Amino acid sequence: MSMEKTLPGPAQVPGPADGRAAVAGYIGGIRDVVVLEMKQRLRSRGWYIMLGIWLVVIALVTALTWAGWNASMEVRNSMPVPDGTPQPTGPGSAIFEVVLAFVLLFALLVAPALSANAVNGDRAGGTLAILQVTLLTPGQILWGKFCAAWLAAIAFLAASAPFLVFAVLLGGLTPGHVLVSLLMLAVEVAVICGIGVGISALAGRPLFSIVVTYLTVAALVVGSLIAFGLGVQLTQGTVMANQPRYSAAEYGPGTYPGSPEYVCEGPLVEQDVLRTERVAWLLALNPYVVVADAIPYPERQGLQYYYSGGMIENISQGARAALAGPEGTYTCANGQVQPQYLEQATPLWPLGLALQLGLTGLLLWLGWRALRTPAGRLALGTRIA
Amino acid sequence: MSVAEIPETTRAPLASGVSAVGVSRRFGSVHAVEHMDFEAPAGRVTALIGPNGAGKTTLLLMLASLLQPDSGAITVDGLDPAQDSTAVRRRLGWMPDTLGVWESLTAREILVQMARFYRLPKSGIAGRVAELLAMVRLEELADQPARVLSKGQQQRLSLARALVHDPSVLLLDEPAAGLDPGSRVELRTLLRNLAAAGKSVVVSSHVLSELDEIADGAVFVNQGRTVKRQTIEEAAQQGRRYAITALDQAELTAKLTELGLEFRVGTGRRPSVSLMLSHDAGAAALLRDLVTAGIGVVSFGPAGGALEETYMSLETERK
Repeated sequence: MSMEKTLPGPAQVPGPADGRAAVAGYIGGIRDVVVLEMKQRLRSRGWYIMLGIWLVVIALVTALTWAGWNASMEVRNSMPVPDGTPQPTGPGSAIFEVVLAFVLLFALLVAPALSANAVNGDRAGGTLAILQVTLLTPGQILWGKFCAAWLAAIAFLAASAPFLVFAVLLGGLTPGHVLVSLLMLAVEVAVICGIGVGISALAGRPLFSIVVTYLTVAALVVGSLIAFGLGVQLTQGTVMANQPRYSAAEYGPGTYPGSPEYVCEGPLVEQDVLRTERVAWLLALNPYVVVADAIPYPERQGLQYYYSGGMIENISQGARAALAGPEGTYTCANGQVQPQYLEQATPLWPLGLALQLGLTGLLLWLGWRALRTPAGRLALGTRIA
Repeated sequence: MSVAEIPETTRAPLASGVSAVGVSRRFGSVHAVEHMDFEAPAGRVTALIGPNGAGKTTLLLMLASLLQPDSGAITVDGLDPAQDSTAVRRRLGWMPDTLGVWESLTAREILVQMARFYRLPKSGIAGRVAELLAMVRLEELADQPARVLSKGQQQRLSLARALVHDPSVLLLDEPAAGLDPGSRVELRTLLRNLAAAGKSVVVSSHVLSELDEIADGAVFVNQGRTVKRQTIEEAAQQGRRYAITALDQAELTAKLTELGLEFRVGTGRRPSVSLMLSHDAGAAALLRDLVTAGIGVVSFGPAGGALEETYMSLETERK
C-alpha cells in the first residue's frame, strides 16, 4: 500500500517549539469538524424549511409593522397639529425596533434547536466515538460543533438582515445601527449556541438537553426580569437627599437637554429608596437588555427630545437607571442635581455580556470534561459507543 | 508529540501488539470487566470470544483508548493510551459494533473526513480513499449517501474507516455481523493479509466456525473475566466432537459400543451419533474400523469448529 511509508506517525504534529503550527493544526481540526457538520446540516431538508418559515415570518412582521405605522400616520395627519409638537421622522425606528425584537426572539428560539443535540445526538447515532478515537481532541470536537451551530444560526440572522436594512432605508437610522444590532444578535446567538452545545455534551439524551437549553433561554429572557422584580423588594435602603426647587422655566420649551431646571437646597434628609444597583446584574442577564443597551440611540436635538425614543431606548435607559441606583437617579440625592433621562451614560451591557459568556464558558468547560477520553466516569445510562 | 520525540527508554518496540493486564471496569454497580487479561500479539489474529454481556465490547473500548479502566494496565504497541493518546490513536483502528455513519455523507466523503481527522498528508488522501473503497468493494456506491447502503455495505464502509490511517493494531467488534457469505470470505482474506503484514488484529465475534479459519489464537471471556486462552492448535489438540451418520443407525451404535467408545445420539433431523475424539489420527483410525466392519458410513466429520468446542465446554462447565 502506498501509504505505508508515511504511516504510522506522519510528522504532522508540531513540537513545542513550533507554536504557530500547533495553533494552525488545532484550528485545522476544528475546521474539519465544522466541514463535517455543515455538510450534514446543509443536506437536511428541515434546515431549509426552518429558514423558509423564518423568512416568511420576518417579512410578515415587517410588512404588518409598516402598514400599522402608515395607518396611524393617516389618523394623525388628519388631525390639527399644534405648533411646536415634534413630528417623527419616519417609520424607520419603529419598524427597526419591532423587527429587531422579533429577530432576537426567533433567534433565541432557533439557536437551541440548532445546537442542543450537537454532541449527544452524535452519541445516540454512534458517530461521536468515531470522532473521539481519531486524533481530534475534545476541545476540537466541541469548538467544531459550536462553530457549526453558530454558523447555521448566523445564516438565519443573515436572512433577516434585508429587513433591518429596509427599516434603515425608510429613515431615521444610520447603517451603524444595523451593524451594531446584527453584531449583538450574533453574539447573543453565540451565547445560546454555546450553552446548547455545552449542555448537549453533558446530558445523555438529546430531548433532555434541548428542553434544558430552552428552559435556560426562558430563564435568561423571563426569569431575569422576574428575579430582578423580586430581588428589588429585598434591596430596601436609604439615601441622603434634600429638596429640589424647580425653576419657572421648567415646562417651557428650549431648556432640554442638559440645562438643570431645578436646584437642590435645604438639609440632607434620609429617604427610603430601593437600591436597584444591587440587583441590576440580574437585569443584565437578559438578552434583550444586552442588545438594546448596546445599540446607540439616534441623535435628537431640541424639540425632538420630547418624542418618545422607542422601545430600545426605554429598555436601555431603564436598565442603566437601575444600574445607577438611587445615588444616581433619586432627585437631589446627596444634594446633587441628577442627570436626566438620556444621560445615564454607564452602560449595563458589558456586565450582562460578561455574565452570559461566563455561563457559556462554564457549560462548555464542563462539556469538554465530559468529552475527554479515555473516559473516566460516564453519565448514568449513557454508552460511549 | 511525534513518535520521534518519545524518549528511547519509553518507546516500545514497533508493533508489539496490544495487551491488557488485570483490567477492571465497572459502570455503577455493574462489574462489566473484572481483572481481565488479554493479549493480541503483532502479526496474529486474536479472537475475543464470549457470550452476550461477557464484557467484550467494554474491553475493546478500553483497548481503543475510549474508556479508562478502573484498574489494570493497557498498552498499545507498548504505549499507555492515557499518557500518550495521540501516539496510540495513530496506531489504533477501531470498528465499533454499532453502525454509526454520517448518513447524508457519501462513502467517499466519510473516508476523506476520517483521513483528515487522522491528519494524513493532504496530497495522499484521495488516493488512499480510492484504494480503501476498492478494498471493500464500494467503488460503485462511493458517491451515494451512506444511508442508501445496506447493513453489510455499511459494515464494510466501517471497516474501511477503521483502516484509513493504516493502523498497526486493529480492533474489530463483530466485523462479520450482517455480511453475506462472499463478503465473509473477503473479510477473512483481508484480515489474514493484515496479520501477515505484521499487524495485530483483534476480532470479537459469535460466529465461531468462521473464527476457526481466521484466528491464530482465542481469548475466551465470560462474566467480565478471562476464562481461557488458547491458540488454534491447542484448540484442535484438545479433541473435538465428530458427527457420524450411517445407513443403519443401529449397526453403527452397536459397533461403537463394541469398540468401547462413549457417544451420544444426535438430536438433529437425520439420525446421527456424535462422540469426542482426542486427535485427528484417532478419527482416521475409527473411520477405517467402521468401514472395514462393513458399516455404511454416510458422513464422518467434525461436528463444529475447534473454538466452538472450547466455547461449548466452557458453557457446560459454567452450568
